[in-house]
Amino acid sequence: MLRYTVKRLLQLVVALLGLSLLLFAWFKSLPGGPENRMLPDNATDQQREALREALGLDEPVWTQYGEFLGRAVRLDFGNSLSSGRPISTELADRLPATIELSLWAIAIAIGVGIPLGYLAARKRGTWLDFTAVSGSLIGICTPVFFLAAMLKVVFSQNLGWLPTAFRLTPGTDYTDVTGLRVLDGLITGEFDVAWNAAMHLILPAIALASIPLAVITRITRASVLEVLGEDYVRTADAKGLKAQTIRGRHVMKNAMLPVVTVIGLLLGSLFAGAVLTESVFSFGGVGSFVYAATTERDYPALMGFILVIAVSYVALNLIVDLSYGFLDPRVRVRS
Amino acid sequence: MALLEVEDLRVAFGGSTAVDGVDFQVDEGQVVGLVGESGCGKSVTSLAIMGLLPRQSKVTARKRHRGGVTVSGRARFEGKDLLTLPRNEMRKRRGQELAMVFQDPLSSLNPVVRIGVQITEVLERHRGLRGEAARKEAAHLLDRVGIPDPTRRLTEYPHQLSGGMRQRVLIAIAVACAPRLLIADEPTTALDVTIQAQILELLKDLVDSEGTALLMITHDLGVVAGLCDEVNVLYSGRVVESAPARDLFARPTHPYTVGLLKSIPRLDLPIHEPLHPIRGSIVDVIRWKDGCAFAPRCDSVTEKCVEGEPALVGTEHAHRCVMAEEIA
Repeated sequence: MLRYTVKRLLQLVVALLGLSLLLFAWFKSLPGGPENRMLPDNATDQQREALREALGLDEPVWTQYGEFLGRAVRLDFGNSLSSGRPISTELADRLPATIELSLWAIAIAIGVGIPLGYLAARKRGTWLDFTAVSGSLIGICTPVFFLAAMLKVVFSQNLGWLPTAFRLTPGTDYTDVTGLRVLDGLITGEFDVAWNAAMHLILPAIALASIPLAVITRITRASVLEVLGEDYVRTADAKGLKAQTIRGRHVMKNAMLPVVTVIGLLLGSLFAGAVLTESVFSFGGVGSFVYAATTERDYPALMGFILVIAVSYVALNLIVDLSYGFLDPRVRVRS
Repeated sequence: MALLEVEDLRVAFGGSTAVDGVDFQVDEGQVVGLVGESGCGKSVTSLAIMGLLPRQSKVTARKRHRGGVTVSGRARFEGKDLLTLPRNEMRKRRGQELAMVFQDPLSSLNPVVRIGVQITEVLERHRGLRGEAARKEAAHLLDRVGIPDPTRRLTEYPHQLSGGMRQRVLIAIAVACAPRLLIADEPTTALDVTIQAQILELLKDLVDSEGTALLMITHDLGVVAGLCDEVNVLYSGRVVESAPARDLFARPTHPYTVGLLKSIPRLDLPIHEPLHPIRGSIVDVIRWKDGCAFAPRCDSVTEKCVEGEPALVGTEHAHRCVMAEEIA
């Protein structure tokens, strides 16, 4: 298991190096360099040249890449072209909101999707199965921004059950510990803050959860159906074991293997969805920051964001891979 | 009294019949063979007895239309009909009073659960053994089925064991609660020839020492000869010949049994002597109503063979062939 972990960690480093190279090359190839963004339109060629020199853009490409890499390792992505503040600070301010939202969304997706997928498989061919399958199809097909807007219109504006925007009712006092507001409220004992934050999370979390929920439901259903037909489930049945033992130990443990893999992959799309959901609900996470950076050609901010997201994505997948090794003894040995 | 009495067992998947009125019985401590080629209904018979067919249900027209499984007839085990027992009652008996060993030992063991757990879960369920006591008993069982270093094996996973070892583990699981009846469905088919003999030997030892009755399902007449007291030959979902093993090999009566025996390659015949296969192959649709289902493949077929259903004739050595007297 240790060797497996070390090997996966080394693979992670290689993956990140490759990604940084790709990212760097991509940004280099974009038209309209940063100097055009930073200078007014009527700047002279000499002024542009001077700025390029000051930014180190006249250096050989490899030197630039080395410089970029060296600073990226120290989490120094430079200053945002829009706000002038360090990008790492900007991201650090906003990441907790996105993390909190994503955690809620994935919790909803897993908590509802796996039981639903299991039931659909067990009750195959019934109305429940039909509802789960067609519901998940709708879930996959509905664009996140559309669902987010519809939820907002129906549940906050028309019915008035839930808040329309932000992470807390404006003007609420709260103590910052982890940046995850619900958790903070629970830690400090400010339960009204936790409740308030939770209410603000429900709609965006549901919107963000829709696609992962649909995918998890379908994968679980397919996987459970496959495992139910396996010989070892019949063996378990032939042993006269209780239904719950068969379900937990012999069906779900095996059926979870593909689901875990898919959850790892879904986490990546979760960040993409967060950008849209956050802008609909003015949630103040990295999503809205990136949205602004994209429209304003804030290259350093975008690079910093993509790197941070990439690192967390790769790290999350490492965790998924390790848990996979934990779930399936055959993976451990093969490595 | 018979331990297991199967009477007019019929199983259909959707509209197609797999077992078409099978009768046989197994006495206490007896080894009974159920022989036939692929598709004759021998595995389905065993699964029906164990209650392991998917969604066993009463006959309804709708279910039949939707491809559900329908089972009818009786399978009396110690006087109680297993086919009509409530699900929970059946669960209590499975693994305890009647147990089963399957064909493919790799796919029949859960790949992500340790061998130890797969054994102790039966001990927990039926014998109430827990923790250290269960582990000790599991190690003892592995030792009994001839697995060296049983304590270490308990912590391993199925893929770490060889095919023969895995089948031994499955046998250990099946005999864990000293069942009255053990059903073995082609337990040696997936194994090397050398291992096959060992596994058969082991099964024989276990049933002899415990007085367990064994229902041996196989296509291999060699296995039958070495192991069984009674043999039932199945063709197209029905018993076509039923006799004590010695008798069956000495005086095979049904042309199908004769064909099966002839088709075994023999070492004592000249090298150029051709093999004698039974021509044709088993058909999907069972037609016993319009005469003998074996008639299209039979060498001794006459007009009498296709005039109505042939009945099972005789008691000690029974057969289902209208031409039996003439052929003999």
